[in-house]
Amino acid sequence: MRFVIIGAGRVGLRTARVLGEEGHEVTLIERDEATANRARNQGFTVIDGDGSQEALLEEAGVEDADAVGALTGDLNVNFSACLIADHYGCRTILRIDEEYRERIYRKYADVVDEVIYPERLGAMGAKNALLGGTIRAIADIAQHLQVVELTITEEAPINGYTISELQLPADSTVLAFGKTDGDLEIPTADESLEVGDRLVVLADFAVLSDVRQIVVGKTRGRAEAEQGADIESGTTTEDTEANTGGAN
Amino acid sequence: MVTAFIMVKANTGEADRLRDNIETIEGVKSAHIVAGDVDIIAKARVETPAAVKEIAANQIQGISGVEDTQTYIAMD
Repeated sequence: MRFVIIGAGRVGLRTARVLGEEGHEVTLIERDEATANRARNQGFTVIDGDGSQEALLEEAGVEDADAVGALTGDLNVNFSACLIADHYGCRTILRIDEEYRERIYRKYADVVDEVIYPERLGAMGAKNALLGGTIRAIADIAQHLQVVELTITEEAPINGYTISELQLPADSTVLAFGKTDGDLEIPTADESLEVGDRLVVLADFAVLSDVRQIVVGKTRGRAEAEQGADIESGTTTEDTEANTGGAN
Repeated sequence: MVTAFIMVKANTGEADRLRDNIETIEGVKSAHIVAGDVDIIAKARVETPAAVKEIAANQIQGISGVEDTQTYIAMD
């Protein structure tokens, strides 16, 4: 597919890199000369200038692009670029600079197909690191719902029981289970829960700490940061880290 | 008469509530949710510059969820 990305800073450049690695064609637009050169030196196609200018978007190939990612730290630029890109029939992605704006743009910005707030993903990565390996956020499904991967510890109340004996609070459900070194799979009832095994749970924030207590136990993350295998369909650790970063 | 444009920076996602509250202030003719580095722009038309200040500094800034305002007085 063909993409145009506005902003070659930390967010834009990493996005371009990931898309490029997957074989997509990406053109960047960047108004800061030094930032543009840095991207160019890394082999990217970069057009110098303000991505909210229609002429530059045309030069970048907006006419036959599949999607445009407006990923600068400047909301005015991002919005204008999305307006123009929408006119050309592209799918549009707008980066916002403050969390509260997510709701406003989802509701009012009709020309924007998706709103992203990279700091949210960065915070998720930081939280996982701080928690120290026994609980790992995989995705925010909705305002109140999160998918987490928990690693069973010695102290966990469920240690030694089976999946069928596992009693989680209401508003939470087990999605997947994996033995210490095995892949994650759809859980089966007789599977035994042992130290190092991993459970992926969908839970409401309100019951998350209860879930944690049942599966992980009371001890707070000693930094034994085990790197569990990632769920293939979910956000991987790498993705989360790749987005850690605020401004461009 | 004085015409003024008041840019409002919010700190809440409840832009609709802010806009509706701002529109009920006497002297405010219209208010719109906008894209960009401010969230709402209100237009006021009042008798005196002091009344503009009253609207921006006291009334609008008094609404919960308003972080900051910036006022521009029309010269034409």
